[in-house]
Amino acid sequence: MSKEHIAEAKNITKVYNPGMESEVRVLKDVDLSINKGDFVSILGPSGSGKTTLLDIIGCLLKPTTGKVVIDGIETNNLNDRELAKIRGEKIGFIFQQYNLISSSTALENVALTMRINGKSKNEAEERARKLLHMVGLGERLTHLPSQLSGGEQQRVAIARALANEPKIILGDEPTGNLDTKTGMKILNLLKDLNKEKGYTIILVTHDQRISGFANTVINIRDGEIIKIIKKRKGRGK
Amino acid sequence: MLDLAFKNIKRQKTRTFLTVLGIVIGIAAIVALGSFAEGINIMVQEELEPIAGKIMVIQKGSGGYMTGFQGSDITDEQIENIKSIAGLEDVVPMSMYIGKMVPMRGPEWVVIGIDITKGRYFVGENIEMHDGRDFVEGETGVVTIGKTIADRYNLEVGDYFTVKNDDFEIIGIYELTNVGDVDTGIIMPIEDMHNLLDTDTYQMVFVIPEDVRETEIIAEKIEDEDEMLSAVTEKEMSREVSQVVDQIRIMTFGIGAIAAVVGGLGVMNTMIMAVMERRREIGVMKAVGATNRMVLQQILTESALISLIGGFIGLFLGMLASFGMTGFTGGFVTAAVTPLLAATAIGFAFLLGIIGGLYPAWKAGKLDPVEALRYE
Ligand SMILES: Nc1ncnc2c1ncn2[C@@H]1O[C@H](COP(=O)(O)OP(=O)(O)O)[C@@H](O)[C@H]1O
Ligand SMILES: [Mg+2]
Repeated sequence: MSKEHIAEAKNITKVYNPGMESEVRVLKDVDLSINKGDFVSILGPSGSGKTTLLDIIGCLLKPTTGKVVIDGIETNNLNDRELAKIRGEKIGFIFQQYNLISSSTALENVALTMRINGKSKNEAEERARKLLHMVGLGERLTHLPSQLSGGEQQRVAIARALANEPKIILGDEPTGNLDTKTGMKILNLLKDLNKEKGYTIILVTHDQRISGFANTVINIRDGEIIKIIKKRKGRGK
Repeated sequence: MLDLAFKNIKRQKTRTFLTVLGIVIGIAAIVALGSFAEGINIMVQEELEPIAGKIMVIQKGSGGYMTGFQGSDITDEQIENIKSIAGLEDVVPMSMYIGKMVPMRGPEWVVIGIDITKGRYFVGENIEMHDGRDFVEGETGVVTIGKTIADRYNLEVGDYFTVKNDDFEIIGIYELTNVGDVDTGIIMPIEDMHNLLDTDTYQMVFVIPEDVRETEIIAEKIEDEDEMLSAVTEKEMSREVSQVVDQIRIMTFGIGAIAAVVGGLGVMNTMIMAVMERRREIGVMKAVGATNRMVLQQILTESALISLIGGFIGLFLGMLASFGMTGFTGGFVTAAVTPLLAATAIGFAFLLGIIGGLYPAWKAGKLDPVEALRYE
């Protein structure tokens, strides 16, 4: 277990509905190590187990067997409360459907994440403002999600993911609902965060083009890793 | 996070309004009915004031105070017996005749027949005449009356008041005492009362001890002396009345509570719907670090908030209703919202919110974020 591995998954299997007729073996013996500062793309067709794998790395889902280590912490034996703490402190999620709270403004959406993790309302809103400026939404602080375009909503989601200064940002098809141009902008933003702020980013996608941004591309088929391509540093766009 | 709770309950305004209304109705019922019970308590305790420091002797097994002691007939012989007990300042026999009884308002007037030289034991030593004069010894065929009765029937000194078929001249009107039986009372010589009721017995006897501290002991002595008599002190009566009032309290609270519990079910229903609608949102909160407990608390806060808003509005409307009832009974029952009643109502509303919110909050708390986020 090298210290520079920010996330490790060892011999992960995941079986849904074990023992039942509807049993599905989604992940089969998956091994994965992610270095600090990596920009990883997990590529595979729909139904190959990408979301499941991401949820397991993100401590939202427990693997059936195998172990997950996040920032040096073994998560297998942690209880719900401890897992919530890891999610809050070390992980930032970005979703395909943005998943913003529809009745809250951009500012409140970002601030809520920090308040959940113990910051005061004022403190949280102060930092939320900075983050929204950083992702280019300084003029949209009090907009509701319904008043924002898809790309803008995803930027709010990115600001939200950054709120607690996580070690890893996990994105599940973050450009899946966006047109190509907007999607590219979002990917560029993530690439900047990776390059300039050193965030570790793991994106899951079935879109080949995203892989151009990553320095590590993991190909997954039917719950198995079939190929890992590591590009040399600096070759990413 | 209270601000978030406020924001959330404002999302479905109509639904929240209806849910709050359910609580409002229940709590208003508790407050209004409870204040009525409280009013009855105050009224009855006031009625007891004239016998403070005195012992009231009646025939065992006769009707109580509110029925004018029907069936109680104490003879002169029995009264002589009482007089033989040591330590008595005075023994005052009297009889009552209840005039017109009005539903919800009690008797409109009450005739008290008493030895007129001792009428002040009933009326009160310090009560002034509003008009006219008090009795002089040996007088018959005349009455003094309370201020309320005088005002209600527009009576003045010199007018006549008819009881049964006899007319009595009004010689005096007392000032307002705020003791029901005096203000609505007609005091007449006991001899006239005897004629009126065609009897020479008494319905009750006031016994005044020389030393107020001896009240209880003397009451016991009277009962020991004559087993036909029952001697009650203010304390004892007040205790008995309290028991009845407590029963009224429990009953009125019960009726209100049923209404409020229905309101509580509304809260539960609303929160279950809210949790279902917000599955994805709850999933996100968990993904960004919210613990099960935090989510549970958030939902509980919201349901408690809905209930408390309903509780405060209900309390306010209940108080209005309470004022209304006081007016409706013409002040006979002064409905009172005591701090305890108000606190009980708010506490009950809060409890309903917590209990109603418990199941939805528990469901929200254990919601699986992966499933919630997948859910389309
Ligand atoms: N809760 C579940 N119960 C049963 N099967 C599931 C569940 N979640 C996902 N699956 C199945 O697991 C497989 C992989 O799903 P997923 O991880 O979402 O793949 P991807 O994100 O690559 O499309 C799919 O066949 C899906 O139907
Ligand atoms: Mg998926």
